[in-house]
Amino acid sequence: MRTISKCISIVSIAIAASLGAAQADDDPIGDRQAIMSSVGAAAGLGGGLMKGEIAYSPAAGKAAIAAMRAASLTFGDYFPDGSNASDTEAAPAIWDNRAGFDAEIAKFAAATGTAMEAAGRAGPADLDAFKAAMGPVFGTCKSCHEGFRVKN
Amino acid sequence: MKKLLLFVIVLGAAAALAGWFLSAPTRLDENTVANLGPGDPVNGELVFWASGCSSCHAAPEAKGDDKLKLGGGLRLETPFGVFVAPNVSQDPNDGIGNWSVADLANAMTHGTSPDGQNYYPAFPYASYARMDLADINDLFSFMKTLPAVGGDAGPNELAFPFNIRRGVGLWKRMFLDPAPVVAAPVGGEDVDPAIWERGRYLVEGPGHCGECHTPRDFVGGLILSDWLGGAPAATGEGRVPNITPVSGGFGSWSASDIAYYLESGFTPDYDSVGGEMVPVQENMARLQASDREAIGVYLKAIPAVSGAAQ
Repeated sequence: MRTISKCISIVSIAIAASLGAAQADDDPIGDRQAIMSSVGAAAGLGGGLMKGEIAYSPAAGKAAIAAMRAASLTFGDYFPDGSNASDTEAAPAIWDNRAGFDAEIAKFAAATGTAMEAAGRAGPADLDAFKAAMGPVFGTCKSCHEGFRVKN
Repeated sequence: MKKLLLFVIVLGAAAALAGWFLSAPTRLDENTVANLGPGDPVNGELVFWASGCSSCHAAPEAKGDDKLKLGGGLRLETPFGVFVAPNVSQDPNDGIGNWSVADLANAMTHGTSPDGQNYYPAFPYASYARMDLADINDLFSFMKTLPAVGGDAGPNELAFPFNIRRGVGLWKRMFLDPAPVVAAPVGGEDVDPAIWERGRYLVEGPGHCGECHTPRDFVGGLILSDWLGGAPAATGEGRVPNITPVSGGFGSWSASDIAYYLESGFTPDYDSVGGEMVPVQENMARLQASDREAIGVYLKAIPAVSGAAQ
């Protein structure tokens, strides 16, 4: 019984891994743009909360932070060699200076990790707590866009 | 035939002579500067950020207090060649520690160095020419408080004929004009003229926004009919956006959207500032809120540029 469940785990891990790889290979530009669009939506929610345009609730704050967290852990995987052609705002510097780009992604992930811890299970209790948690995440947007994004 | 040759030679000599006089560097009247009195370093700091000095003269991607170390070194790679931003720190030998306020004012408003040379307009004196001398005086007193940084940033790397400094004098005759670009608010009768004029001063003068957001002709002069209508990035990658109130584009931003972007770095739909605009936005975030609002008010009431410049 133990062996069977072990086999099933291994197979499912393998399937998951191959699915992941397949997704990354088929359309990395589309995939990373979808991830970044969820980052934009989370920033829109977070900014609306900060400005008071949307009434604050811990669940809303948590939703914004968790979306940022998921993106920060995956986004960097969708820039394989050769995905710098066609319709992309990804700067050539991503491939010319991979270490610099990876460092920016690491900053993004570190900021979201801290924000998730601060958010706890229920989300930041009030707007000030949310601002304190999300502020550093917002700071990493332009830090990376400064050198690694080109507007056309 | 001989007569014709003589005629051509005389004409050529006359043109050369005229060119020599027309390309001579100009200066401010000495009395104007002498009467300025002591500057105010507190306002001078605001002028420093509004003018974006550190975006070129501090080390590339400098953050925090490193933005006050003006050792130069940024390489502006343009179609004319590479312009290297010089050391403008208070070092007396490598920087401008020995300059008088008149030297700074002549540099910023006439593009003329203390020893009478023309500066290249990569140094945006065509915009700074619209600045109040009182602001330059205050800026001078603030810069006196900044650290000396040793080291020469090195020479420009320009190809013929752009490597002839004297020729820049002719460029100045054509393009150096302290008059405002936009004479009066466009399209909005409810615009407060005092706020709009403050915005105009900041955008057209110290902020030197037009230097990147306006397209240039083949000798590098701004095409003022396309003022702020967007341009290919001088450094090669991507485009600098149109920031005129054009429908389907920047026109959808309100004045307070513009002010919020300059303060926070976020667009109305929560995209973030990027590229070379990042240090500019960080400078603007240091201004008074009323100045960011004034910039927004000005940008909402200028001619919309559509079509060709896009």
